[in-house]
Amino acid sequence: MDRRSLLTRAVFTPHPSSQGAAKFTNAVLRTQDNKEVRFYDDLIRGKQAVINMMYADCHGACPLVTTILKRTYRDLKDRMGKDLFFYSITVKPQDDTPASLKHYAQTRGADLPGWYFLTGDAYDIETIRYRLFNMGHIGVDLDFAMHSGTFRIVNDATNYWGHAQAFASQKNILKRIAWADPFKTPAEWDAVIRARQVRIDKVVKKHGYLRREEL
Amino acid sequence: MPKKKAKDRQGVGEKTEGTVSRRNVLKIGAAAGAVTVLAPNMLTSRKALGFQQSVPKPLVQCTASPGSPAHTPFKDELKIPFPAIDHPLNPQPTEAPNLNADEADRANHQRWAQFTPAQVTTELEARPSTHRFHSDFGESYIWGFNGVYPGPMILNRYGQSTIVRFRNSLPPTGDNTFGVPEITIHLHNGHHGSESDGFAADFFPSGKWKDNLYPNVYAGIEAFPNPNPGGNGVGDAREKMGTFWYHDHRQEKTLNNNVMGLNGMFIVYDRTDPGHEHPSAGSLQLPGLYGVTDIPLILTEKRFCALDAQGRNEMVNAAGGDKWVVNGGIQPRFTVRNRKYRFRILSTGPTTAQWDLNLIGPTGSIETMTCIATDANFLEHPVPVDAGANAANTNAIEAGVVGGVPQMVIETPGAIRVNVAERYDVIIDFGKYNPGDMLYLIDGGAGRTQIVNPGNVNPPGLPPGLNIGKVLMRFDVVNRETWFPQDTPPIPETLCQYPPLCEPTTTFTWNFTRDPAGSNPRFFRINNRVFDPDVPQHCVIKGTCEEWFINNNTPNADGPTNWAHPVHIHFEEFQIIERWAILGGVFQQVPVPALLDGRKDVTKVEPGEASRIRMQFRDYLGDYLIHCHNMGHEDAFMMVHWVIVPDAAAKAECDAKIAQANKEFEAKLRGEEV
Repeated sequence: MDRRSLLTRAVFTPHPSSQGAAKFTNAVLRTQDNKEVRFYDDLIRGKQAVINMMYADCHGACPLVTTILKRTYRDLKDRMGKDLFFYSITVKPQDDTPASLKHYAQTRGADLPGWYFLTGDAYDIETIRYRLFNMGHIGVDLDFAMHSGTFRIVNDATNYWGHAQAFASQKNILKRIAWADPFKTPAEWDAVIRARQVRIDKVVKKHGYLRREEL
Repeated sequence: MPKKKAKDRQGVGEKTEGTVSRRNVLKIGAAAGAVTVLAPNMLTSRKALGFQQSVPKPLVQCTASPGSPAHTPFKDELKIPFPAIDHPLNPQPTEAPNLNADEADRANHQRWAQFTPAQVTTELEARPSTHRFHSDFGESYIWGFNGVYPGPMILNRYGQSTIVRFRNSLPPTGDNTFGVPEITIHLHNGHHGSESDGFAADFFPSGKWKDNLYPNVYAGIEAFPNPNPGGNGVGDAREKMGTFWYHDHRQEKTLNNNVMGLNGMFIVYDRTDPGHEHPSAGSLQLPGLYGVTDIPLILTEKRFCALDAQGRNEMVNAAGGDKWVVNGGIQPRFTVRNRKYRFRILSTGPTTAQWDLNLIGPTGSIETMTCIATDANFLEHPVPVDAGANAANTNAIEAGVVGGVPQMVIETPGAIRVNVAERYDVIIDFGKYNPGDMLYLIDGGAGRTQIVNPGNVNPPGLPPGLNIGKVLMRFDVVNRETWFPQDTPPIPETLCQYPPLCEPTTTFTWNFTRDPAGSNPRFFRINNRVFDPDVPQHCVIKGTCEEWFINNNTPNADGPTNWAHPVHIHFEEFQIIERWAILGGVFQQVPVPALLDGRKDVTKVEPGEASRIRMQFRDYLGDYLIHCHNMGHEDAFMMVHWVIVPDAAAKAECDAKIAQANKEFEAKLRGEEV
């Protein structure tokens, strides 16, 4: 099989190792436009996604995180809705109807193509939250009140699971999303490595040693 | 050449048949230890991915197992990792990365002119392979250096600089495992340039390689520029280290790739510890014949899936395990002659695995093990550990209460507690026992047990009171044959002399915390930060000494953190000068047990505990890490980096960068766009 066809951006092909719906669930969720979607099949399958948990009536971290995601959206605009998607999932589905999520997104300028605000059955969402954000400690992760200062970054086409801290630097968030990018061809890797080397050499030439913060 | 149908079905292959078969022939030669010189055009070939064609990938990912299959205890002999072969590298190593020949990006090697040409060069290729953990099992799919687990043993010598070419030949598009085919290899705890240190963000993809330059010098190159006796090179010979290990340090995926098998041991000899037992100038004459009387014991825990259609027992792709593995074998036996042996014990974790090692004699009693080195460093004087006269020496000690009095309490009498990434070199004198006797290395701690067979039925002959589920391995004592090396002299009373404690110019506190309830997930943090390779958290001036407080007693919304952290600091060895713990509700200084009173590079801080350490930063510039070596924690961001800068002016600039990053962090918290 030609690997290039596996990587063709328009075809969302899961990685052979992806655990698929068994891991992500195929729960039926609703977008801010009241469109019914299946979590794995429609949102995750073969795609790269940045996922966070929030709720509309949240006055703590959620609006801040939404702001940060908006900035990230702007930085990655060319890819949004094509092979990269943002999913903001409410942890209070009983309160957050599609309409209230629509309102939340609109008032924050986040009602954008490729960025879905999702609600659904409370049990399903709790399952998704646990599957996505479980850090291996049941007692901790079952705490329903928890919501996110964290992005889960997945790419079902490469079977990559990463995460980013919302309050890390923007550069760091973009870097972590890039780590989940589709597999690169050798030529693409060469280009990345040569570009990095140019930056390394420039910093080392200037200071006599590598200052990473200037890369 | 038959078609690779299984691979094609998975749709991830990219190699053409002809290239592969030619390549495989060459690779088989290399694996057999032959010095195989490859033509440059073959090395630059994108198809040059060696063995992975001949190792079928797992049919399905083994993600969970209700329990590993049963095994027969002590059926297999202990495996001894085969040493890496010293061979020329082609193309030759270069100071700047050789991008044209597929080396990955990096800064130029520091001190290149001083330490090259390297006396020793070798290549370790990370690639898929299979490994049989027990003869009752089928093979398991692993990722191993040169295809073996544990990785090849690297035997080096002070004064002989070494370049190890780490080549990434892992499946470029993954396989049915949770490994991530991007690697950066750390030599724990080498004194070398940052560009050779396996910095967590410097991982490189499949098809690329990177040369790590290990000068194998004592720290203090600039203060001690004259060659030491015995051809041991420059530096302060009192900084001698011995037992290192190398492992993948890929940010976020260190656990995954180490579980897959990407680690191995690395020993550096010098005139005091020369790797042989003959009398020679300066030699301590310790048991020292690698693989004969000087034996690595690399511990980890694993879990396995049931035998599958490929005839494999795949490893569960997760932390934790119900089988304890020594040098890649489950519950092995090791035939020992009635003389002294040195064991270099290393725990590769990966996570909360903590072994309280007891040596159990033929009648079930706790026997003496004499510890000579902690992490890579000799203790100044040997520390015998047992439950009798030397009971106070154990490091298996925690804050508790006895008879209503808060105090430090021995949790496991006579035990050497080995946490992730720690090394303890011990000498066991089997001369005290009779041929036919059997001794057992067990975990004497409470809590963890492995699954040997249903119900953990003891095999016949096990000493009374012993539970087979707690046994790591067995020693079978036999008479020393005439051809076997005779016993070494008694262990010297003094093994080394430490340099005087350095005088710190700065004190600094590293707070290890876990996010309070209300955050999700609850990240592990250091000084409120998660790992960001672009921003250091502390800047030190080259050549200075600092006093650091490694603090795991930082109250947050939930009270003090309730997680233990084996904290590892890269670059130089430190010495613990104070230990702190909470006794009777009061955070206070407690005695440092004899086993922790030497130089180290890992200090485990239990909940409510802290260590005050002193450390120097000599000879090199650049970024180095401090992190929790519980691989689950470091992958969950409990890692930050500090940077060695050349002078005060650079430190001021570096500090300003940190201040700027902190300001941006605060601004983000306020909801401002940065």
